[in-house]
Amino acid sequence: MSSPIPATSVAGEGVAAADTPGQLHAPRSPQGRKKKDFTPLWLLTPAGLVILAVTIVPIILLIFISFTDYNRRSLFTGEFAVVGLGQYASIFTDVAFWWSLVRTVFFATALVAGSIAIGMAVADLLTRLAPAMRYVVTVVLIFAWAVPNVASSLVWDWLFQPGFGVANWLLTQTHLFGDLTQVNWAQDPVLAYLAIWLLIVWQAVPFIALTLYASQTQVPSEYFEAARLDGASEWGIYWKVAIHFLKPTLLLVTILSVIWDFNVFNQIWLVSQGGPNDATATLGIWTYKTAFVGFHIGEGAAIAVVTTVLLMIFTAYYIRNLVRAGEDL
Amino acid sequence: MTTTPPQETLSGARPRKRDARRRRKLRLGANISAIVFSVIWIFPVYWMINTAFKPRPEVMTPTPIFFPKHPTLSNFIDAFTQSNFLLNLRNSVIVVAGAVVLSIVLGLLASAALSRFRFRGRRTIMVTILAVQMLPGTALLIPTFLVFNSLNLLGTYIGLILAYVAVVLPFSIWVMRGFFIAIPYEIEEAAMMDGAGNWRILWSILFPLVIPGVIATSIFAFIAAWNDYLVAYTFMKDQTMYTLPVWLASFSNPITGTDFGGQMAGSVLFSLPVVVFFLLIQRKLVAGIAAGAVKG
Repeated sequence: MSSPIPATSVAGEGVAAADTPGQLHAPRSPQGRKKKDFTPLWLLTPAGLVILAVTIVPIILLIFISFTDYNRRSLFTGEFAVVGLGQYASIFTDVAFWWSLVRTVFFATALVAGSIAIGMAVADLLTRLAPAMRYVVTVVLIFAWAVPNVASSLVWDWLFQPGFGVANWLLTQTHLFGDLTQVNWAQDPVLAYLAIWLLIVWQAVPFIALTLYASQTQVPSEYFEAARLDGASEWGIYWKVAIHFLKPTLLLVTILSVIWDFNVFNQIWLVSQGGPNDATATLGIWTYKTAFVGFHIGEGAAIAVVTTVLLMIFTAYYIRNLVRAGEDL
Repeated sequence: MTTTPPQETLSGARPRKRDARRRRKLRLGANISAIVFSVIWIFPVYWMINTAFKPRPEVMTPTPIFFPKHPTLSNFIDAFTQSNFLLNLRNSVIVVAGAVVLSIVLGLLASAALSRFRFRGRRTIMVTILAVQMLPGTALLIPTFLVFNSLNLLGTYIGLILAYVAVVLPFSIWVMRGFFIAIPYEIEEAAMMDGAGNWRILWSILFPLVIPGVIATSIFAFIAAWNDYLVAYTFMKDQTMYTLPVWLASFSNPITGTDFGGQMAGSVLFSLPVVVFFLLIQRKLVAGIAAGAVKG
């Protein structure tokens, strides 16, 4: 019953479309649809109403709440006061907000840089392997990718457990850093970041590596052979030849990583709860703590709005890129 | 190793031989790096499984035990019998099934409209759907929490299902639309020539053709809802209403000490369906995840 669907045409063409602009356009029906055809309207109405109710209205509400002093009491009484830009004024004058923003930007940058660099290396590695080895690496990547991040965060907690963590033990065996067996990673700002960085990069690399590998295999091998004949080094071939073909995919993967890494919540929450002393409280964690631990909901909403606006720069860029890459919106 | 010729020569044979040797070395180096990489990358998964099968005295040891000496299922049996596992599993299944079915049915109709018809406002709708997926989790969480609080939907299945639909439906529309686009227009045109109307074309031609896509999308939707921690953790405060991720995280107890054997057994059980699905849809994975199915 099914015409096999080529992998590249599966939805998030985003990534694939970049390589083959034009192919994924829905061919326009020659005569076009007749006017006054209400079929699409009927098809869209149910989903449209639901999206309106569970997504659009809440976003508008979020903006409204950010202008109020909604708090724990309001949850029971329903009473609150409109304070205008008061919440924004107070977060922008709060040093803690700026620190949280700085932390978020730095940490997201470190995450994106780390996962893209390792992902590129692994993708290139995949092209050089014997088929059996390539299969092994692919399966390993899929496992690392598939473990839900709640489970992997708990695994991390266990790997780095003071006294019993296997990571602590292995690092101690290297005799490079002294006795680390009793180190509590989550209680040290630098080590907490390091552990969470490793966790997120560990899970992000598979998607990036497999995506880049998919587009690297599309590069005609003549280009590499020609470069090799000219005596170019493998390093030079990658940066001069392969990178040229990988650029569009790389760009999309980077934008997606920026958006995802900026929004990371679970891994930080489950490994360090944003601690010690808010050292790992990125904007996501800080919003959550403000809104759902302290129940300063109005203020939390204002932080969420600011975060959303910051992210919108990347989201807009991502969407524009899809459109430019030939995605027929 | 053979001796290398002293002088550079441009004529055929020798450079090619040297080239072949260089390539063989490169290939060997690549395969060795791949082994090292694989061992490091699989280790956390191995350690999760390894711990899950260890009896209690072998879990908490100052020198880690790399292979269980007395492998046991007791951690799994504990998980099944002692805690709310089965109850919370049932919650997860109900909520995930509800969110997936609702999103897929509504999403199928909407994605048909957005792929096979051209009309004004279509572009705006697509951009909105894409943009919504990129919102930070807390942005939707805060207003939804307040609305559900006043409607008494916090801690209920319906509330959680609707909260998941908010995330899963836009993404399902986006993914399924891709499957619709892959169907050639000629098929539709042939049917139109035969006098079939829009609804008939949809029902008898397009929907059957898109079934593989619906299955793939359902899997993505399942994974997204199954993995959620943030919403369930915020909405479901009664232990009997926890979903599996919240159940799993609630094992951690800094005061009495976490039962790591039990927690890892739980992690294995919780991860199992997702890993199976990932292996099943391997080929469509890259594209689907790019659409936002599973966020880092």
